Amino acid sequence: ATESQEAAGFHPNQKLKLVISVGDHSGPMRVLVTGGSGLVGRAIQHIVKEEGGGKEGEEWTFLSSKDANLMNMEETRAVFQKHRPTHIIHLAAMVGGLFKNMRVNLDFWRNNIYINDNVLQAAHEVGVVKVVSCLSTCIFPDKTTYPIDETMIHNGPPHESNFGYAYAKRMIDVHNRAYFQQHGRYYTAVIPTNVFGPHDNFSIEDGHVLPGLIHKAYIAQKEGKPLVVWGSGTPRRQFIYSLDLARLFLWVLREYNEVEPIILSVGEEDEVSIKEAADAVVAALGFKGEVVYDTSKADGQFKKTASNAKLLRYLPNFSFTPFNKALKDTCDWFVANYDTARK
Amino acid sequence: MGSESNAGKMCVLVTGGSGLVGRAIEHVVQEEGGKLEGEEWIFLSSKDADLVDVGQTRALFEKYRPTHVIHLAAKVGGLYLHMKSNLHFLRDNLKINDNVLQTAHDMAASKTTYPIDETMIHNGPPHDSNFGYSHAKRMIDVQNRAYFKQYGRRYTAVIPTNVFGPYDNFNIENGHVLSALINKTYTAKKDGTALNVSGSGTPRRQFIYSLDLGRLIVWVLREYDEIDPIILSVAEEDEVSIKDAVEIIAQSMDFKGKILFDTTKSDGQMKKTASNAKLRRYLPNFTFTPLKEAIQMTCSWFVANYATARK
Repeated sequence: ATESQEAAGFHPNQKLKLVISVGDHSGPMRVLVTGGSGLVGRAIQHIVKEEGGGKEGEEWTFLSSKDANLMNMEETRAVFQKHRPTHIIHLAAMVGGLFKNMRVNLDFWRNNIYINDNVLQAAHEVGVVKVVSCLSTCIFPDKTTYPIDETMIHNGPPHESNFGYAYAKRMIDVHNRAYFQQHGRYYTAVIPTNVFGPHDNFSIEDGHVLPGLIHKAYIAQKEGKPLVVWGSGTPRRQFIYSLDLARLFLWVLREYNEVEPIILSVGEEDEVSIKEAADAVVAALGFKGEVVYDTSKADGQFKKTASNAKLLRYLPNFSFTPFNKALKDTCDWFVANYDTARK
Repeated sequence: MGSESNAGKMCVLVTGGSGLVGRAIEHVVQEEGGKLEGEEWIFLSSKDADLVDVGQTRALFEKYRPTHVIHLAAKVGGLYLHMKSNLHFLRDNLKINDNVLQTAHDMAASKTTYPIDETMIHNGPPHDSNFGYSHAKRMIDVQNRAYFKQYGRRYTAVIPTNVFGPYDNFNIENGHVLSALINKTYTAKKDGTALNVSGSGTPRRQFIYSLDLGRLIVWVLREYDEIDPIILSVAEEDEVSIKDAVEIIAQSMDFKGKILFDTTKSDGQMKKTASNAKLRRYLPNFTFTPLKEAIQMTCSWFVANYATARK
């Protein structure tokens, strides 16, 4: 270990699991949020502006693809030079549900690698002291023991359905470790489970399961047809409401000082099956028609149960919005905003 | 799987063509009849293009319009260089690989082959010393599978063990173990000093002579049709310790001085024994150059070419 690594308590043969103080930055933060117009970005916006998540003197800028194409290095550098952030919440990515991933794994791999390399490198160049990137529990090894925890990310190949996306996201963790090792940068990442909420992408073809079901149920209700759920309904998921995730993101930005990532999720006992989720959507929308399961469609990964033990060690008293309430709020939002919702 | 360009003529582009493995392939192709009638083989180096830059990569492919690519170009180095610069190795190699693969795909190159250097590739984290390079190289396999899945492209990879031979980088700080040791021994002999070997000498390696690797890569290009990579290596029983290798080098260079092992220096990974069972299933009769002979030839080359050797 080099002298500075020794001083930080770091030894090359030791797992990177120590608490270190954040790089020096005095004065109020200038926070840039990439992917600021998306599901999670909008939730953070809400917390910062409506819930006092932002502090006196801080500057918060929410970027979208209109401001810069982050797959292009020059545009990324330009937008960072313009805003000169001290901190970045990096949410921008090419994302999609099971069926989109299965169609275009290569594009998920390439586009996300470009975005992530550009954002991290430009951040480093412009002197950003902390970047919090966003991974996902869908990137963990497919053949594994449960529950999954933060140390297991690279312990085997991911599920075949989304290997392009999964590997690209795993590389964020590799980048973070390398930026720390080579430059002493404290760039880290969070690992949410399945996120849902207002401002999601409700596309039936490309969206994730909950918004997809909400949209389908809405149409089925309008047209008086059955709700057709893809797959058997048996796979299990932990769902996290976007507003809860946003609150946790702000805590990570301010207080979490490890380079190793942290899982942000409800507990294992709150895992539900797709069938239970469909039933909850039906209840939330007051759908009265038939619900059928199309078992000719893929199920995706059967489970990806994640442990939130690390989060609970830091925040033993954090309370998540109850699932049924969060789902109801999301359905209400979708119905009220149907015309402008992304779909 | 045919190519759409070059009207049936095979045109092979070799990136990293001036390096250790590239030169070996050149030798096989030009001196050993590795090249067939009507084929064009082009050996590129960093002078021709910086493959970290996508514009330069495209220009290169547009100029030569290859039907096949042997992709050897990478940022590489020995243990100590990796330990200092994991980020650099990660970023540059990710870029080089994406530029070459995507450009090959865009221009309909029908087959591309690359070296990777890990076994059981994705089954757990790599060694900490070179995690940046390792992850970048693993991603070649991921990208190959994705090109096949999304477009039906047959891009594959080879996995050599530790390569050595003429035209290597013999730099003592940054080179790989055998080449660095050859240079150190040369210098120790010339200066009349002891030979200082970094590390304990106990880690074990399978070494493959560059010319043997060159012959095998040409075979892979022509005959190997899987997307899954193939290890190109001598057998497990031919694994030697660093100490064994030092003794062979000392003998080859007629070094009579003291040999010391500096155990304060890192050993790197203790072993990375690879199975060549898959290769043996395909080529049961392939003969590797015996290690002592190959090291002797490499030492002789180094001595004869000392002035111009990369170091």
